[in-house]
Amino acid sequence: MQTATSFWTTPWLHPLNDVAAIDDLLAQLHPTWSLGRIKARVMRVVVETPDTKTFVLEPNRNWRGFRAGQHVGVEVEIAGVRYQRRYSLSSAPSAAPVIAITVKHQPGGKVSAWMHDHLHVGSALTLEPAAGSFTLPSPLPARILMLSAGSGITPVMSMLRALIASAAPLDVDFVHVVRRPENAVFAPELAHLAATVSGLRVHHYYSASGGRLDVPALTRLVPDCDECAVLLCGPTSFMTAFRPHFAGRLSEESFGAPIVAPDAASATAVEILCTRSERAFTASGDTPLLIAAERAGLRPRYGCRMGICHTCSCVKRSGTVENVLTRKLSSEPNERIQLCVSHARTDCTLDL
Amino acid sequence: MTLTQAEADAFGAELDALRNEVLADLGERDAAHIRRVVRLSRGSAIAGRSLLMFGFDPLSWTLGVGALTIAKILENMEIGHNVMHGQYDWMNDPTLDSQTYEWDIVCDSGSWRHYHNYEHHTFTNIVGRDRDVGYGLLRISPEQYWHPKHLVQPISNVMLSALFQWGVGLHGLDLTRALRGKTSRARLRRESRAFVRKAARQLAKDYVFFPLLALGNAPRVFVGNLTANLIRNVWTNVIIFCGHFPEGARVYTREETRNESRGAWYLRQLQGSANIDGGPLFHVMTGHLSHQIEHHLFPDLPAHRYAEIAPRVRAICGKYGLPYNTGSFWRQYGSVLKKLFVYALPERTAAPAAA
Repeated sequence: MQTATSFWTTPWLHPLNDVAAIDDLLAQLHPTWSLGRIKARVMRVVVETPDTKTFVLEPNRNWRGFRAGQHVGVEVEIAGVRYQRRYSLSSAPSAAPVIAITVKHQPGGKVSAWMHDHLHVGSALTLEPAAGSFTLPSPLPARILMLSAGSGITPVMSMLRALIASAAPLDVDFVHVVRRPENAVFAPELAHLAATVSGLRVHHYYSASGGRLDVPALTRLVPDCDECAVLLCGPTSFMTAFRPHFAGRLSEESFGAPIVAPDAASATAVEILCTRSERAFTASGDTPLLIAAERAGLRPRYGCRMGICHTCSCVKRSGTVENVLTRKLSSEPNERIQLCVSHARTDCTLDL
Repeated sequence: MTLTQAEADAFGAELDALRNEVLADLGERDAAHIRRVVRLSRGSAIAGRSLLMFGFDPLSWTLGVGALTIAKILENMEIGHNVMHGQYDWMNDPTLDSQTYEWDIVCDSGSWRHYHNYEHHTFTNIVGRDRDVGYGLLRISPEQYWHPKHLVQPISNVMLSALFQWGVGLHGLDLTRALRGKTSRARLRRESRAFVRKAARQLAKDYVFFPLLALGNAPRVFVGNLTANLIRNVWTNVIIFCGHFPEGARVYTREETRNESRGAWYLRQLQGSANIDGGPLFHVMTGHLSHQIEHHLFPDLPAHRYAEIAPRVRAICGKYGLPYNTGSFWRQYGSVLKKLFVYALPERTAAPAAA
């Protein structure tokens, strides 16, 4: 496979093997034709709530499938600029050949707004392969608590659908936190599943009336929650509230920008040298390198800006940076780092 | 022509404002432009190579050479050169990425990015720092030291233009510096390897691969490709020489440019560059290097914007009493040729001051 790939892509065959040119031509002929890229056609658009839509997509043959809970890269072009975002798949793998993403229109969110306004039945979309380690534990635990808040419901919904499709005996409590009843996505389907699937209990918790959900309130909803394996997904503050309590029995995924406590030692300014652009800039230790580089007028590629997609990944030639998500230090030369979640700890040289 | 520090700052601020205005307006239109040119160039290459490969008469040969030449010129000038300047990096399109683009010329893109984007565009027209001043071969201003090789420069210029892509490729190796022993062996090895690999690929493509594909038509394809490369070489050479060498474009010394402010940098870019008048088609076929002034002021703005902002750049220059060097192709290239003859000879050192 390796040799075959390098044979077909060798520069010695150029321009006959110019994949970009051939793909451009194929795209003119049919919107989802491509040699290697995943292109999908929008089959259906479901309005879930006033600010959330589900896009049911049929990907072309380059799609390699996914596991429930994983996310998919979506590439859109808005006013000439390509943007990449990752969205959790909300459908079950068994729904193939179609897949679904459920997208909340984020206030001020460029890509989600564009998708809500411009994606209609028949539109084509470019995807990146599914990825992510937030999936159903294997072997399946006997008692499962699925705990989600806001948009965090999407990967958990995918897992629930996958569990039901597998026809295995269930013992699942599905707790979903939203502000108000009208914000609850998948509510009719969840009500229907709760009524028809034995072993599934669905609890909606409305924070506008009940206040923030905490461990005691959760225990009132699910008295034996301490005996469950927990699948947790929601915004950062939500995760922080439950993470310590369920430590050790937890699979999780969070979204939202990482919150970093700046401490005096790490806030020192360091000098960053960029070898490709032959530029230098100063970064303070409490600013992600991506933002520091942008402030200096550089335009590194980026996607999620929260450490998931690796679009901004770049080779660090020297120096030490800290990944603020993992708290891991990278000091080895020539390591790939993610600019959006890396803070410089010493002077660095980047392949940027 | 010089400005006071305050004038230079104000001049720079006006150009910065213009630049930011264009940056804020980048979008669909610019993306559509570059993609249209990319498709045009690809289509033209396919048409040209097919005509050469499958035709058998002189007419299809001529058309094939023409189409392939246009494809190569567009690819080198409007696409390659401009993409590698980062003019389209904001699109996040990996096929138009300044750091990874590779062009259809024997010059390796990595070496080009360094000596052109960095050296030439940063130290424009500083004698001794910008090797594009005469390309180490020609003497185009009295500030350059005379050397006996300059006696034959009208002839060496003709040879350079015919073999221009090799000049561009070898320029990256900086052989004059290497011959003086000032380049480390490791660096020379690394850079010459990149050059040799790229050159071999280009030669294989145009003179082995495509001729072999044409079977019995191999000689026809071989000569056609050679001709297309030759015309492309001459055209790019002529256009590029009109950028910095015509009458009125000045050079600088290192001393003059020490601790230069942004305004003064703009002023140097303006006074070191010259435009060529022409229509939209002409501008595209030069990769908008006919707007050399705008290109040197704003090397990373999409080039098709240069023609649009040129009147405003000219007005800003007028406001500060600065010359804006533009003229017809023949006027500009004529003055380059004249310089090549004039500066082929050393100055008469004892010339008396003008009476």
